[in-house]
Amino acid sequence: MPHVGLDQPPARAAPGADGGEPAILSVEDLWVEYQTPAGWMQAVRGASLEVRAGEAVALIGESGSGKSTMGFALLRLLVRTARVSRGRVRFRTGEGRVVDLLGLNAGQLRRFRWQECAMVFQAAQNSLNPVQRVGDHFKETARAHGRKDDRKTRERALELLRLVQLDPDRVYSSFPHELSGGMRQRVSIALSLLLEPQMIILDEPTTALDILTQRMIIDVIRALRQRISFTMLFISHDLSLAAELADRVATMYAGQIVEIGPVRDVFYHPKHPYTVGLLNAVPPIVGDQFTPLTAIPGAPPNLLAIPPGCPFHPRCPYATEICTREMPPLFQVGPDHGAACHHHDKVDRNDQPAWERAS
Amino acid sequence: MSEALMTLDGVRREFNTRRGRICAVDDLSFRLDPGDILCLVGESGSGKTTVARMAAGLLAPTSGVVRFEGRDLKGMPKDEFKTYRRAVQLVHQDPYASLNPVHTIGDTLRAPLEHHRLARGRRAATARAAELLDQVDMTPPENFLGKYPHQLSGGQRQRVSIARALALNPRLIIADEAVSMVDVSIRVSLLNTMLKLRNELGVTFLFITHDLAVVKYFGWEGKVGVMYVGKLVEYGRTPQVIGAPLHPYTRALSAAIPEADPDVTRAKQKLQLRSIEIPNLLQLPSGCVFHPRCPYAEPGLCDVVAPALEDVGEGRDVACHVVARDRRGKVAAA
Repeated sequence: MPHVGLDQPPARAAPGADGGEPAILSVEDLWVEYQTPAGWMQAVRGASLEVRAGEAVALIGESGSGKSTMGFALLRLLVRTARVSRGRVRFRTGEGRVVDLLGLNAGQLRRFRWQECAMVFQAAQNSLNPVQRVGDHFKETARAHGRKDDRKTRERALELLRLVQLDPDRVYSSFPHELSGGMRQRVSIALSLLLEPQMIILDEPTTALDILTQRMIIDVIRALRQRISFTMLFISHDLSLAAELADRVATMYAGQIVEIGPVRDVFYHPKHPYTVGLLNAVPPIVGDQFTPLTAIPGAPPNLLAIPPGCPFHPRCPYATEICTREMPPLFQVGPDHGAACHHHDKVDRNDQPAWERAS
Repeated sequence: MSEALMTLDGVRREFNTRRGRICAVDDLSFRLDPGDILCLVGESGSGKTTVARMAAGLLAPTSGVVRFEGRDLKGMPKDEFKTYRRAVQLVHQDPYASLNPVHTIGDTLRAPLEHHRLARGRRAATARAAELLDQVDMTPPENFLGKYPHQLSGGQRQRVSIARALALNPRLIIADEAVSMVDVSIRVSLLNTMLKLRNELGVTFLFITHDLAVVKYFGWEGKVGVMYVGKLVEYGRTPQVIGAPLHPYTRALSAAIPEADPDVTRAKQKLQLRSIEIPNLLQLPSGCVFHPRCPYAEPGLCDVVAPALEDVGEGRDVACHVVARDRRGKVAAA
């Protein structure tokens, strides 16, 4: 597989898909599989995605959709029993060079992570070292990347902690166990920004946190993006989080991106039945009306026995014969909006009867 | 007034921890009539699970009284207690942990039937097990009786837990975060199944959750109690409490929840709290436990006197000095 490492001369920068901002991250036909006693299980099956400079993209899906596996694969953080079996992941560095992430060696990868792209993990409490003070996390991360001036690191760390609305001096000298879950999550976010990466990947940044803490994290992320510009890819099962923070949304199902588009288009004019089903399954809080909800029939597929054709067809009210045979390509359904559904032109969010018939 | 199915009266529960004694539930009272849905909503540390365990008879209150059909659980004769335990069933959050992995679904459902002699013989027990699966919308039941929990999806496992709870013809099901671990696309059908059980079999529900949106959907025809650090701070009919919350804590919660609608959620009016940290249970704030976070807290009042849960009209109860005074003012003006 031809690839360009960090130390090699710049290749051409990937142009933006719509002539707008060029892509920072471009994923092409990515396949990831896990070794299981029952054979190789495909968790990501030919996903393609571009993330453009400065935007926030939400990768939405339920458990087993492949969203987290995809996030981990991008930073080469997969467990040993997983492998990328196909695909290309390219990243445009701060200096404008395009590197092939799947081809980086260990040293290049170490430099790439944190400096170019950092990740904030779901279980923030487990990603901080319990025997190290918060300040040491900042110092160690900086030193590992050749920034030996602890005083400068401290200054930057305090500023970042202030930006995530923590009491900087107190938190800097605290141990992780002295902080609440929400505070630790904010420390992780501050830490991810220490080396001024162009992009951060957040995996379920608000899951398992209380509602008021979730709100704090959302507001902090939004404020940070106004203060410091960075590109963001976040992975979540929570549609509302995407509605809050994303510029573009990608829905994943059975390892594939089945719909992708600008946030308002995907929420107000979804063209993939699965996205419609998800949206209609979330009860709204506002309003004094009772909203009857319709469930998506069935359950997500077993990844070891994915249905042929479109993997959603056994649950889909629009499915016809072709859906059982052919996986639909990502059809262009609007400007910058794609949906992998043979019947995308019939899909309408307000067509409740179709769902009631199906369930 | 007809006899209540269950009442909690001034219930308090303390726990010893390594760092001292904490009070998980403080002076909590509510009443459940047959066919009611009562949702208890709160964040972590609110005491909602402790309430569930006390209502299920798994935990005795430190003080106060839990009554089932008018009888105090404490000192209940053994056979009566057994009847109560049969009539009240608990469905847990985690269907992975609550089903025995080496038993088939058929075994799991037959066990309580055989133990309580509700079915004569294995064939009758199997027939009843199939009926139970049918009631929780696992059809056709024959496909599931021989399966093991690991062969089912998370949503199906939770359905089996509900079917098992139904096996003993319970009067009351206590569901503790029963849909929290289930994916969005399956959650609604699980809630619909439980609503059907309530409407068709008349099962009463005590539904414990951290999710206001789920309360709004499941508890629309019932009541909701909002818990904060061991206390009930607001109580009333669900449409009113969710549609127009009164207690500053409920208002903050409702305003904080992101909505799955980009325009709505980005325009939502937030209620800015003075602090986001939940108080330490070992050192609870004086006066109203919410005052250090409350934007309306009045010095000299809220930090001194703990507000009682007070009837503020329209069948609503709120534990807040400021809200109670405003409502009194409105009544006086009118």
